Amino acid sequence: MSCSSVFQKGSTNMVEISIENLTKHYGTLVALDDVSLKIASGEVFGLLGPNGAGKSTLLKTLVGILRPTTGTIRIGAIDIVADPEKAKKMIGYLPENPSLYTGLTTLEFLQFVGKIRGVPDDLLDREISELLKSFGLEEKRNSLVGTLSKGMKQKVALIATSLHNPQLLVLDEPLTALDPKTRVSVKDWIGGQTARGVTTILSTHDLDVAQTHAGRIAIIDHGKIVAVGDIESLRHMANTTSDARLEDVFLRLTEEKGEDPARR
Amino acid sequence: MSVASPLGTVGILIRYWVKGRFTKATILGLIIGETFSVIFILFGSSTYLSFSNRVGLTTGLSEVAGSLVLALYLVGLIQSGFNGGGLPVSSSDVDYVFTSPVPPREVFAAKVLLNSLTTVLFGFPPIIVLYLRFSAYYHTPMTAAILAGLVTLVFLVIGLLLAADITLSLGRGIGERKKLWRNLFIVLVLVLSLLPITLLIPGIPVEIADVTRILPNGLAAIVSVGLVSGTPGGLDYLVDLLLLFAWLGGFLVLGVRMARGHFYELLEVSTPGGEKFDHPNQTSRLDPRGKSIWSIVRLKEKILISRTREARALFINAMFLSGFLVIYALSGSFQSSPTSFLFILFIIGSFGSGTASRWIEKERLWILKSSPVSMRRYVKEVYRARVAPLLFYLVPVTVAVGVPLVLGQLSSPSLLLGVVLALPGALEIAGITMAGGMWFASRYGQSSADDILSSQAQELADIRRFLFQTIINLIMVSPIILLVLVSEALAAIMGPATLPILAVALVLISIAFTGMSINVLLNRAGDAITRREDL
Repeated sequence: MSCSSVFQKGSTNMVEISIENLTKHYGTLVALDDVSLKIASGEVFGLLGPNGAGKSTLLKTLVGILRPTTGTIRIGAIDIVADPEKAKKMIGYLPENPSLYTGLTTLEFLQFVGKIRGVPDDLLDREISELLKSFGLEEKRNSLVGTLSKGMKQKVALIATSLHNPQLLVLDEPLTALDPKTRVSVKDWIGGQTARGVTTILSTHDLDVAQTHAGRIAIIDHGKIVAVGDIESLRHMANTTSDARLEDVFLRLTEEKGEDPARR
Repeated sequence: MSVASPLGTVGILIRYWVKGRFTKATILGLIIGETFSVIFILFGSSTYLSFSNRVGLTTGLSEVAGSLVLALYLVGLIQSGFNGGGLPVSSSDVDYVFTSPVPPREVFAAKVLLNSLTTVLFGFPPIIVLYLRFSAYYHTPMTAAILAGLVTLVFLVIGLLLAADITLSLGRGIGERKKLWRNLFIVLVLVLSLLPITLLIPGIPVEIADVTRILPNGLAAIVSVGLVSGTPGGLDYLVDLLLLFAWLGGFLVLGVRMARGHFYELLEVSTPGGEKFDHPNQTSRLDPRGKSIWSIVRLKEKILISRTREARALFINAMFLSGFLVIYALSGSFQSSPTSFLFILFIIGSFGSGTASRWIEKERLWILKSSPVSMRRYVKEVYRARVAPLLFYLVPVTVAVGVPLVLGQLSSPSLLLGVVLALPGALEIAGITMAGGMWFASRYGQSSADDILSSQAQELADIRRFLFQTIINLIMVSPIILLVLVSEALAAIMGPATLPILAVALVLISIAFTGMSINVLLNRAGDAITRREDL
């Protein structure tokens, strides 16, 4: 798939993110423990962590799906808890395993999502057509979503995420279980959004993607941020060599907890 | 190569499946389900017996009715068989059993045995209660009822084998033409089952009715009804029983023979979000131009209802409901007392909660919760979209039951008030229980993936939810029920002159109460979605 114009549309209004002393408890389980982060406007911010570290909880809290136990999250000047509707207009969120309305056609699903995210009627059809073309899904516009392949569904979910031109993109494992061709499409799309200046938070297990796209990376483990910085500063924090791969840095920073019996 | 003796392997498989299927939650669910079905069977059979007594139905026509009911069971299984669901399998079967060296024939045998066991366990109590009720009516011995029950259970197992055989046969070129075959099969079963109706037409040879004895449903109905009603059959019953067992043996041998080949790819695994659609391409019906967000939400819901066949299921259920209620009305079961009208309230009213039970799927909440729409408003719009087809089907049912009731009570104005309140009351209760159902679905509804991943926790949640929902719904609708109950006394106090004004005032009060109740329940549903954290 070519990286067409819609992936690199004009720049968007940038927004910075501020997370302060965020905690999230599920009963006695502490999923997030005093997390504080600042993400600059237009920045691509990577989030890495082992399974169950709290990445998805952090992202869901950030987009307003979960309510923080304590702490604040600001999208620009807007507090997500105090004014969730205003904040959500600025956010595009892609969950780890997006489930779509399988009984709607691709076009109907996107029209529905565009409408509930407040895309004006005169823009909606044009946006959908351009994005479907960009992702090579034009022929599937009248196909029921339930009949699409996994890769196609992921593309439809990505289109739904960006239909309303969000200022903040929150992507939870956008490349999981995709075939190489679709991975390239999605990486192109992320690159296009970055070029437009959209603030992007990218949770991924794919360290290459994090290293390629993210300016700074946070490593989260047991609900705590254990390190934040660009690759150089992470190498420094991990006491690794200056040419160490992100994988080695990640393992060094998370292994101090010693939770992976396979590595003992 | 088998890992153990064939019988040993079948035993291992059954033990493993039973452990997965009969959890504490399913046993509790089974008990609750059986209790409800026994209550319904007692109600239904009493209605039928009153009806047949009043209208003068012969046991011959009861055999037709029984044969037809059993034919519908067969039709369902034939459809399931052609859809590849004749031998239900889970993804863990595919991953672990199908990849094991166990011969397919042994897997087939284990599946059939387990399904038969489950069917017998589920089916035995309500079937025996049904036949005991009939045998009490006809003054036949209890053993006759038990024998009739066993015959019906044999028929149920025959149905399972038929469905399995159809699925296994799909690999032999039938697959491409299966729709035609399926429809032919279904028409044949229904036509043959209905043949005894020709007994009502003068001049038609009696032998035509006996053709129904070709089919297992006809045989089972004739023997079962004959036994419980005390109709002398003698040698005929023995022949019928032999024929029934011949069907059983025939389908079993056929299935085992077909299961020698590799049949796994013919089986259908139900996957979350993997609904089947007749037409993968559809014209868009959701043009958003000039429409508000909320009309798009309603439209989306209507499209989903129609494409996922919910509307068709609702229609079929409404047809059964109206048939049952008309029989109930004709049977003279409504006595001259407002308490009898409660039956209308319960039967029609409870329809609402069932239709709302699966309206939401947890896994799709991310679309809504990450959007700026108000969840309270969203739920209300979904309710508006979903209550419309419910009322579309229930209003004619209510009118069908209401007209003879109103006409029958014209001479008794004080009872007429109860009827006048009960008819809209039934629809109001349906509306309230639907809103209640949506609240509980919002609060506890799980995704289909969760159903598979943690079925025991899911089943327990479902049972808790069902009980809690029933109690809350009963509390919510109790003022409407109370109004119907006190209507006769109220009418007596107020006098006949004020009855029209009283009726209008009470109906308006009842509607206002319903509106407020629905609003409260839907607000709670919206709040429940907002607060859900298990996403």
